[in-house]
Amino acid sequence: MSHDTHHHHKESFITKYIFSQDHKMIARQYLITAIFMGAIGIALSALFRLKLGWPDDKFPILESILGSDAAPEGLLDSNWYLGLVTLHGTIMVFFVLTGGLSGTFSNLLIPLQVGARDMASGLLNMISYWLFFLSSVLMASSLFIETGPAMAGWTVYPPLSVLAEFQPGSGLGMTLWLLSMTVFIASSLLGGINYIVTILNLRTKGMSMTRLPLTIWAFFITAILGVLSFPVLLSAAVLLLMDRGFGTSFYMSDIVTSSGALDATGGSPILYEHLFWFLGHPEVYIILLPALGMTSEIISTCSRKPIFGYRAMIGSMLAIGFLSFIVWGHHMFLTGMNPFLGGVFTFTTLLIAIPSAVKAFNFITTIWRGNVMMTPAMMFCIGAVSTFISGGVTGIILADSALDISQHDTYFVVGHFHIVMGMTAILGMFAGIYHYFPKLFSKMMNMRMGMAHFWVTIVCGYGVFLPMHFLGEGGLPRRYYENTNFPMFDHFLDLNILISIFASVGVLAQVIFFFNFFYSIFRGPRASQNPWNANSLEWTTPVEHVHGNWIGEIPTVYRWPYDYSKPGKENDFVPQNIPLDDNEEEH
Amino acid sequence: MEIKFIIIITVALFFIALVQLMKIYDLAAKVRGEKSQEKLSRSENLLMANLMLVFMVAFFGFIIWLISKYGSNSGLYQAASAHGKDIDELLMINWYIILPVFFITNALLFGFSWKYYYREERKALYYPHNNKLEAVWTIVPAIALAFIVIYGLMTWNKIMYNQEKGEVVEVYAYQFGWIVRYSGVDNTLGKADYKMVSSSNPLGVITSKTIQDTYVEIDQRVNDIDSILSSNINADGEYLLPEKKVDKLQEEFDRLKRRKYRIEASIDRKDNNSTAYESSNDDIVVQEIHLVKDQPYTFKFRSKDVIHCPWFPHFRAQINAVPGMETSFALTPTITTKEMRSDPDVQQHWENINVIHNERKRRIGEPEERVLFDYVLMCNKICGAGHSNMQLKVIVETQQEFNQWIENNGDKKRLTFSGQEVNWSKTKSQASL
Repeated sequence: MSHDTHHHHKESFITKYIFSQDHKMIARQYLITAIFMGAIGIALSALFRLKLGWPDDKFPILESILGSDAAPEGLLDSNWYLGLVTLHGTIMVFFVLTGGLSGTFSNLLIPLQVGARDMASGLLNMISYWLFFLSSVLMASSLFIETGPAMAGWTVYPPLSVLAEFQPGSGLGMTLWLLSMTVFIASSLLGGINYIVTILNLRTKGMSMTRLPLTIWAFFITAILGVLSFPVLLSAAVLLLMDRGFGTSFYMSDIVTSSGALDATGGSPILYEHLFWFLGHPEVYIILLPALGMTSEIISTCSRKPIFGYRAMIGSMLAIGFLSFIVWGHHMFLTGMNPFLGGVFTFTTLLIAIPSAVKAFNFITTIWRGNVMMTPAMMFCIGAVSTFISGGVTGIILADSALDISQHDTYFVVGHFHIVMGMTAILGMFAGIYHYFPKLFSKMMNMRMGMAHFWVTIVCGYGVFLPMHFLGEGGLPRRYYENTNFPMFDHFLDLNILISIFASVGVLAQVIFFFNFFYSIFRGPRASQNPWNANSLEWTTPVEHVHGNWIGEIPTVYRWPYDYSKPGKENDFVPQNIPLDDNEEEH
Repeated sequence: MEIKFIIIITVALFFIALVQLMKIYDLAAKVRGEKSQEKLSRSENLLMANLMLVFMVAFFGFIIWLISKYGSNSGLYQAASAHGKDIDELLMINWYIILPVFFITNALLFGFSWKYYYREERKALYYPHNNKLEAVWTIVPAIALAFIVIYGLMTWNKIMYNQEKGEVVEVYAYQFGWIVRYSGVDNTLGKADYKMVSSSNPLGVITSKTIQDTYVEIDQRVNDIDSILSSNINADGEYLLPEKKVDKLQEEFDRLKRRKYRIEASIDRKDNNSTAYESSNDDIVVQEIHLVKDQPYTFKFRSKDVIHCPWFPHFRAQINAVPGMETSFALTPTITTKEMRSDPDVQQHWENINVIHNERKRRIGEPEERVLFDYVLMCNKICGAGHSNMQLKVIVETQQEFNQWIENNGDKKRLTFSGQEVNWSKTKSQASL
């Protein structure tokens, strides 16, 4: 592999910072876009939590932020409440934890860790980012239109999402949502194909598949999941666009509006649910796996100890990836599906708990008798393992079709998936940012602020989502604009206030992160080449970014990336490019 | 305005101060020759390790507090239906398996993080794998899950394959409310079709009469539109109305015609209307759900517009109501509303709820009221602006009380589709098959 010829020519500002084809710059672009989207996404959640915590109070801040259509006199409108919920979900799931997480770290780490000069196709990579940017702008812009953004929940089930008569957000807001998602899917597919090809074809000499860092395995499986499942969501979105605009009735049948019965006949909203969740469930692992992959890497590095059960970790990720395609029906137990089918989905869903348990135990065993450096990244990883366990165990309840009858769509579900998917992924993403900041921006972030950020985030995260399980056990349905219409929920008034306080503090505390992040980009101390004494190849590249990643030859790989504290070695780490000693066993 | 200005200035000054502080900190570190953002001191590692332990204690404490406060009495009490007891039992067994796993694994995680914090002189154990250990934590969870799956599916099958036995009651969902229809003496709901839905026939029930009524209604509207359009046209054949409105009217006009044609073609079977649609004759439409204790019911659900999800929390029963298809759920209520209200736990809980409820009422300046326990039907699938207030009272009572309710209810509510009055209590034994 000789690409030496093209990393010397001078670049203009535009080709370097805007239409860059360098994977490191694209990773930065993804990250900063995702941070802005994330700021919007979590801010929205703080706004609707105000309504849920203090249902009778007026918050002038709502009117000044959202405008007088959305919150006349500071009282959030019930349609807009659903709009905020919908956009919060969409932005966090797709734009922050899919686009942002995979986009940033797959782009940054795949070429650096497999030992490649760049992605297989720099051009596709650049297009992928700009499509992501376009879709982010489209999605965010739907907040600024008079009738409001999409309001049908992030799953946008038809027929609610089809006719503006059912809710105002199903007009222009929904059109923007669908357009944005269509562009987003295109971006995600271009990215995914690129990741797969790069991992398979551009590994450096000696980098066999079983010497890949677990991050790369995670990105690899994630990309495969995305490439196989996102097209199905695309078809769902296109059919929905046709139902809305061209008078088809894929998802519509036997519907009566205020102007009488519609013509639509023969379609079924359940078809949409199948198409949506065929992406929707793999999507959970598209979000989780990169976070868990980075967690594996960081826990091993910061515990100064090899990851326990490397092959079992790969095996369990493959098993999770495979199983994630045959469990989507557990979102639909109560759609009236055949009970036998429900039983099958219960079985396959509960199977996922086995590889997940293996992963959790392997993480814990890696820390056992390690030498744990409490860097912010490591602390976020410990947090992520904790939330993965805490949210995972309640998944066992929701996977059980019989129990789903009494838990479905209650706050129990909200608590469950926010802990297992939301928190684990976001904590993993923060861990990745703190850990790889030296590679992203050649600077160090402030560790003490990182620590403070971790503690507030984990305390507030659990503070918000643990109580929600109990709201759910009390039968409280999710997506209720107010819980005060039913006296039976009055005894949860206090608990909702508690949740809202934790949510507000948790959201405000992210300012620590934003400040630390942007301050460190410009003013942070310069990083050394390998600040964490890690083994993988990215730490052999120069601190300042160079086009082509390595000056001169790409290093050859002789060992797996987890030779930490290997007996008989002087240092507690042995980078991958150090040849094995005579009669040294690989691992 | 001034306050906003002051807030902005304060925030800005705060950040400037922060930047300066960080600068000083970094400079000082540089002078000392430390890489303070890359390496933690021993005391910092220890502090964070100790905080891990503190966090774990607080975390477990918070959960135990939540369980003690809300766990045993979340507000749904014991299940008030036959199958609900099975669900609750299954749920309890799941908790007994899950909670120890949760506490133990989290304790190990935080415990190890605390115990093995970084000390320069220590070396971690090189321990890349142990096949036996990994087999153990594959097989043990597999066994536990096998138990959970088998027990869960047995319960699921028991509930779901027991669906067609009870007295049939229809719940029709719309934005944002419910209409209830009892199937009456013959325990069969009269046929209904969405094309028949109108203000006078909200459920779209088909009878010879409703077919004729629908024709009249459609013809009337068609004529209305026709006359609006023809009276707003000038000599050149141009409409005086806005184009958008004309389009809308013409579209409605066409749609009404198509609807009438489709009713004629598929519903109006002229020869046998009298027999095919007569099961609606004894159907009764009501505004509340009254159920008889220990009587099996089969609820049938339809939706007028979007997906709704009828949710009876106390009966542990819910299933989606989907436009274009009929879903059903069977349940047998086992505790009357009165019995539930006199349960000491429920009484105590509702005393508490009354205090909270009326505190709020005072705060927002509404009249205080005494609220009592009631079973309730609510919507559990996002359906629009009124989603959070789609409620219907459900009353479980004895057979005598039920008969009394049928007896006492005003004419309006016991009117059947054929216009005749039905004395339900007399025919009860027949219907409960």
